Amino acid sequence: MTDNLQPDLTATTESTDESFQTRANTIVRAADHATPLKLSNITIRYGGDKGGAEPVTVVEDFNLTLHAGEMHCVAGRSGSGKTSILTVGAGLTLPTSGRVLWEGDSLEKMGDDEIADRRRALIGYVDQGGALIDGMSALENVLLPAVPDGEVEQRTEMAKDLLDLVGLGRRMRHRPAQLSGGERQRVAIARALILGTRVLVVDEPTASLDRTSANRIISILKDTTNDGIAVLVASHDHELVRLSDTLTELN
Amino acid sequence: MNAVQRFIRSRVLLLTAAILIVAMCLSVFIQSQSQAALNRTVDQNSRGLYDILVQAKSANTKDGGALLQPDIANGQGGISFPQLEKIRGLSGTSVAAPISLVSRVTQNLETPRLDAMDYLGYNAGLAGGATAGDPTGTDSKNWPAPESVLPAQPKKYRLTATAVSSDGVSQQTLFQTSAEGTLGKGQVIEQQTAGGKSIRIAGPAGETGIKFPAPAGGSEHNLFNLSVALPMAPPVTESVVAVDPTAERALLGSAGDFLAPLEKAPPADARNAGVIGRYFEQLFAKSPTQQELEQGPDFLGVKLKYWAPLMTQYQQAKLSGQITDASQAIPLIVRQGTSLDLKYSVKIQEIDDSGKVVNDVGTVSRSLDKDYLPFVSKSPFALEWPGSTDHSQLLGNMGNFSQGLYQPAQWSTDFAAAPKYTDGATSANGAVGKSATPGDWVTVNKLPEKSAFGAIVDQSQRKPVDERSYRDNLSTGSKPATPLPMVYGTFDPAQIQKAAGDVNKLPLGGYDPAPMTLQKDASGNDTAAKGLKPSLSATGLVSQSAGAITDYYGLAAARGYDSNANVIDAVRVRASAPGNWKQAQPEVDKLAAQIRGMGLEATVVAGSAREDANIFVPGYSKDDAGKESALGTVQQSWVRQDAADAVSGSLTGTNITLLFLTLCGATLLTGASTVSYIRQRRSEAGILRAMGWTQRKIRSWVLEEFGIGAAIVAVAGIALSLLSWNLATVIVSASVLLIYCGAAYIAAQQLRHRDVVDQEPQHDERLIAVDSPLTFAYRQLVTHRFSSVALAVAVGVFGAAVGALIALLIDIPRAAGASALSGLASATIALPSVILAVSGVLVGLVLTLVTGRFELQARREQLGTLRAMGWNPDMLGQVRFFENALVGAVALILGVLGALGLGLLLAPYAALWAALAGVLAVICWIPIATKVVK
Repeated sequence: MTDNLQPDLTATTESTDESFQTRANTIVRAADHATPLKLSNITIRYGGDKGGAEPVTVVEDFNLTLHAGEMHCVAGRSGSGKTSILTVGAGLTLPTSGRVLWEGDSLEKMGDDEIADRRRALIGYVDQGGALIDGMSALENVLLPAVPDGEVEQRTEMAKDLLDLVGLGRRMRHRPAQLSGGERQRVAIARALILGTRVLVVDEPTASLDRTSANRIISILKDTTNDGIAVLVASHDHELVRLSDTLTELN
Repeated sequence: MNAVQRFIRSRVLLLTAAILIVAMCLSVFIQSQSQAALNRTVDQNSRGLYDILVQAKSANTKDGGALLQPDIANGQGGISFPQLEKIRGLSGTSVAAPISLVSRVTQNLETPRLDAMDYLGYNAGLAGGATAGDPTGTDSKNWPAPESVLPAQPKKYRLTATAVSSDGVSQQTLFQTSAEGTLGKGQVIEQQTAGGKSIRIAGPAGETGIKFPAPAGGSEHNLFNLSVALPMAPPVTESVVAVDPTAERALLGSAGDFLAPLEKAPPADARNAGVIGRYFEQLFAKSPTQQELEQGPDFLGVKLKYWAPLMTQYQQAKLSGQITDASQAIPLIVRQGTSLDLKYSVKIQEIDDSGKVVNDVGTVSRSLDKDYLPFVSKSPFALEWPGSTDHSQLLGNMGNFSQGLYQPAQWSTDFAAAPKYTDGATSANGAVGKSATPGDWVTVNKLPEKSAFGAIVDQSQRKPVDERSYRDNLSTGSKPATPLPMVYGTFDPAQIQKAAGDVNKLPLGGYDPAPMTLQKDASGNDTAAKGLKPSLSATGLVSQSAGAITDYYGLAAARGYDSNANVIDAVRVRASAPGNWKQAQPEVDKLAAQIRGMGLEATVVAGSAREDANIFVPGYSKDDAGKESALGTVQQSWVRQDAADAVSGSLTGTNITLLFLTLCGATLLTGASTVSYIRQRRSEAGILRAMGWTQRKIRSWVLEEFGIGAAIVAVAGIALSLLSWNLATVIVSASVLLIYCGAAYIAAQQLRHRDVVDQEPQHDERLIAVDSPLTFAYRQLVTHRFSSVALAVAVGVFGAAVGALIALLIDIPRAAGASALSGLASATIALPSVILAVSGVLVGLVLTLVTGRFELQARREQLGTLRAMGWNPDMLGQVRFFENALVGAVALILGVLGALGLGLLLAPYAALWAALAGVLAVICWIPIATKVVK
């Protein structure tokens, strides 16, 4: 099922489409490829270990082609395999069978280091709840992806701009414990975009947020697609489902 | 779910209570096993052959607990015979055995002779001459063909004679000399004399013979031997102690049977040396049988096996005028053999007229080795030409005594503990206003400056006594006549020791050689422990065993006193009270007090044991120029008074230290588990609060759970305290309960509800920016300070415990082999100590696991987040490594300091090894923890 709906941005208070659009264009480079992520015949099976647990097939023969600038929502009840599809798509886990293609390159042929390098350049992953690192400010969290390439200093201004962009310009010195759930999600999105990500993989971004905060997150995600960034989001938020370009509903 | 069920469900609380109870059990175990077992063992074994050592009052008298030097026969005297009789008369006295150093006897060893057999087939019938016309004579044409190693025409030879003494560590050349001359094959010369022809043996024409410098003799052709008398042997000195043979046998039991012949020695008024000498002369004028010669003639019921030296000395002393009517005979029981090696060697070289060596004939040598018998030469030796055959047996038994023997013993007045002083000179050994003059005897004066625990060692324990000459008559000052030694029998100190049993049962001094082990060389460098043999030579050490034993009449004869002189050095008293030391102690103490009342020093030796002490030996040997050189530091067995108390005291200190450490470990573990408990229950407390529970109710909920544990700990503590009936256990149990209650209070406090205030930005800009795995790891550790420090402490405790275990493992075998006492102590404390140390290691491990789990899940999630951001596996590995390395760096300091401290407490010499083990333990932990976090 696929729906194309306009987002309801009435709840946003700190940014406008125009400003976001303008500033994001200067921060995030556009996607080079039209199909940055493709999942082909993915089957994910758990269990069947030595403990005698019966194997459970969570996802079977799943296919997805994510185009640049497209937001695809994976919806379904809890335990239906939404997060599994996201982690497989982000290359964090390997499927039981099937192929994961990043810009046409299969992950099967890549080693751990290459996957990590490609993920850093291609995928921005936003975990459920944000998964920020304790003890580090919002700014430092946003800059973490730049550490492996030694670009922390070069990207500091960009990080500040991104935080400003997600409406946290005045809270960049705050630590995760001092941020609300919605704010943590926004920091996590900014962190996912810091390296010019072409695919944003977001897990349940509005799960525990109030409507206002949720709408704000949805707005940011939708705006991101306008810059050519593909968004793969797992959610059962009706608003998010409604605004997605494409939808896969898992049973 | 009630409190008991919740307590059981909370494994952390259960584990904590169990560990605390184990800590209490350990305290009981240590107290009961180590100390009680040690006391019991020492008590049962520490009553030796005698209970009280009586000596004259000395300015150096020390209170109990001091080290007693084993060499108590030192020539100081100070106790009179009336005092001895008074001690014997005390009701509590069973045996009072006196002992004194008689003197040092200096004697010359045999004069070695170089023999060259000229002829084979020596026949006693040929001795003498073949007289012309005598039909019984052998015609010279029928004499056996000569078989000589010497040439028919004399050649020039150089003989170099060397004598070297060795005591097992160093050799000292006693003399080296050489002489040149011509030697040739002996010839039978037939001479025409009045009434016929006579035959004589003579050297070949032109033979000059070889003569060493005086006092050595020259060479001569005697019968069919060429004999070259080598230089005189150096004087060798032995000590002689005097005992009362009857009392000594009562003290030693069957081990003293060797003294039986001494009891048969003639009384003082029947010991006239001249009379005894003449008696033996007339015995041999009657042609004794071969059997009589071998077994020795009967003298007052004793077979004097060594009659030959007596005869020789008597005759030589008579000729030299040394024997007078006042000369007394001294009965001696001499020691068998010695390990002193005195080796003679003679290098024989053929030389030309210019003195150049043209043929190295060879070197002959002979060692006294173990066959040497002081005072008597059992088997005098002859040096033979290399390649020649020893035909000395053809000379008959008389040959055994025909070879020089020795000069009459020179009775010396040099006492081992009494160096000669020069008044007014500066002392090198602590004696004020005097200095020791190097003499033939070396005085050991110096103890280590500090003990193992840093206490100043009482140097005056070895303060030398003033020199006193007993050779002069104490009353008149006149010199008595030379005494004549008579050998009544022999003894083997090893056999006495074997018969007497444990080493600490042997009498102090006397005939118990005090073994010495070289620990450090003269420069203070460690050396391989090497046993030193008692020396008889001029290089001798102070603590020699007695070379001979005589009785108190012999003492009088040697020292020249004739009335009531205070010549007894020490009296060893056995109390009549039966039983072990603890049972007999009141009676022994009472007897000692009575003896002290007589103005004498009475040291209670019962309850004492051997203990090693390190002693520096300054002047040990002299080189050819007479320059002294130090031997180094030797280890010698002394006697520790009140051994049980001393060791118990030491063990108490050690145990208290170990128990304290156990409590520290238990506290740390309780703290760690309490934190773990609080973390577990924080969310539950929140839920309960949401359900409407009050703060008071939640606190009760927590305290109830802890209360169950506290009750169990308290019951265990009371039970263990009652069982052990030991104050230390009560203290430990109470401390443990206190720790547990403290943990309960902290847990209840921590689970209180606190309103979280969203404060303004608190990020500290001074923190290091995160730009690498190292800085990320550092920031994480800083963020989670409590967990990081707790983990570092846990790892440090683990490292320190490993160090302590290593120190103990090094110490136990070393201590067991050090001395009888330390062996005793180490055997009794070994098991509990090792168990305690292993427990420490386990506590450290559990602590590490408990504290390591605090943030484990959070760290794993963080690593997952970093991975999702594109951090590659190498960088994630670096993060894990750096986190553990930084914790390890802090733990390393704690571990090393802890291990070093524990090592210093338990075994100071092994402290560095303990520290090293601590370092290794912490370093090993780092990669293991890194692996676990993955």
